[in-house]
Amino acid sequence: MPLDEDKYPGESGRRRFIAGVVGSAALASVGAGGAAALNTATSVGGGGGGPTQYVAIENTDGPAPRGMPVVPVEVTSGGELRGVFPEATTEELGGQQITVAEMDMGGTTYSSAWFQYCGIEQYEGAQPDADADDMLRSASGPGYAWQSDLEGGEVLTVDMFEDYETWGNGIGRDGLGKPASARWRSEAEGAKTIPVQVIRSPEIPKMINGEQGFRDYSNLPGGVRNFIDAATDQGFMAWLNKCTHFCCVPSFKQLEGSTNFGGADGVYCQCHQSVYDPFSPVKKQFIARPRPTE
Amino acid sequence: MSDTDSDSEEVRTDGTGIVPPDDETPSWQERKARHEGLSRLTYEYFERARREDQDLRQQSSYVERDVLAFPTWPHEMIRNLALVSFFVGMIIFLSAALPPHIGPPADSSSTPAIILPDWYLYWSFGLLKLGPLNPDISLLGGQKLMADRTYGVLANVVIVGFVAIVPFLNKGAARRPVEQPFWGAVGVSGIVFAFTIAVLSVKNLIQMDSHLLFDLTFLLPIVSAFLSYAVLRSMREGYMFNLNRRYYRLRPPK
Repeated sequence: MPLDEDKYPGESGRRRFIAGVVGSAALASVGAGGAAALNTATSVGGGGGGPTQYVAIENTDGPAPRGMPVVPVEVTSGGELRGVFPEATTEELGGQQITVAEMDMGGTTYSSAWFQYCGIEQYEGAQPDADADDMLRSASGPGYAWQSDLEGGEVLTVDMFEDYETWGNGIGRDGLGKPASARWRSEAEGAKTIPVQVIRSPEIPKMINGEQGFRDYSNLPGGVRNFIDAATDQGFMAWLNKCTHFCCVPSFKQLEGSTNFGGADGVYCQCHQSVYDPFSPVKKQFIARPRPTE
Repeated sequence: MSDTDSDSEEVRTDGTGIVPPDDETPSWQERKARHEGLSRLTYEYFERARREDQDLRQQSSYVERDVLAFPTWPHEMIRNLALVSFFVGMIIFLSAALPPHIGPPADSSSTPAIILPDWYLYWSFGLLKLGPLNPDISLLGGQKLMADRTYGVLANVVIVGFVAIVPFLNKGAARRPVEQPFWGAVGVSGIVFAFTIAVLSVKNLIQMDSHLLFDLTFLLPIVSAFLSYAVLRSMREGYMFNLNRRYYRLRPPK
């Protein structure tokens, strides 16, 4: 006697048919639902990312994977500092309209994809076609004593940096350059702030000429020197101030603790003690994150 | 009456007539407890419940079987209500007494000068700073096999894995460290390592050369393991001596 002999209700052709219909419907709905869920979870996340060559201030110590990208600067005729952002153009690539912001900067392709990491790719100011304010403005709540008498949002000018050849604040060696915390392309209503570190340093011309200075700049590759020549102006240099490790905002000669980790003459991140050397620009490649698309 | 009956009535002095108490027999402590205060009240309450159950079982036509629990109403519900009102009261009290702690939203464009996780996560935070232990592999031309951050995360897996494995290696039969000096030493080094790795995580606040601190982080647990092993080992000898002395004092060798 089989075990299910006394099963109620008994097995019948009609019941088997209904069980088959219900079962296949359930399987089909699980399959369709799963496919839909998978589709949502892995949906294409925007455009404009991918492998990107850029010029960075070198990461010399700590867990950060690479250096922070240089922001080209120029001094306007009025003596104000302006960060250069490439002009956006719309290209047709493989039948799709793609907006790219790219330009040639001393033989290196400078593009807005340089800044697409740490969520900055979602900031309004980092969109290639954003109509943003390029002036470098004093950050609100800056970490430097000399900057505290500036209003947050005041445009940085050359005359604020006149003492750059002797400036020092007791951290590391004096005369390496005068730093300022700035923001860039962040003036629009509700736009997130893009932090930029500006320095004016007597080392920059030596870097361009490949002379012996604070470091031996003769080892710098020609392409990097050409880029630095094009991306700096009157000794001004700037970089996007977002640590590539976990997106903290580090600083140049701002924190006492940097001395313990060899960061007194460099950029030191207080979160995980990464150190960057602004006097050692290098070419790097990284995978830029895609921007959100509507 | 036969002889055997009169024999059993007799009080025997050789101890063979004493019947050991079974599980049903209340201990002296229990007998005493039932006669005073709250314990008497509790006893009466449970006894009454038991009695009600018994009566119900006897009245019922249902097949007799053991009662595994008290009825939900009122017995269980009264206890649950007491617990629920205690915890609801605690929540209301804490929410009324504690000051609100909700700061302004985080500003992603500036980082505070001192930025640390909660103190009980320092050990894990310290494990993220093990970059110097990440080996450069010569086959890869001096490159690292994995990024320092991946390495730090995997270090967490190793530590948690080790902590999870220890109970399988040692069941913890020892009542005091001297009984198993090796495992005592493992425990001491673990505690010291938990402390030193936490100190390493705040190395930017410690006024000490960070390389020395890094070395101490791993040397101190090893040193303390050797020290505690030596101490426990020597203590064990004295401990066993004491035990032996007591044993032989009670049972002197013939």
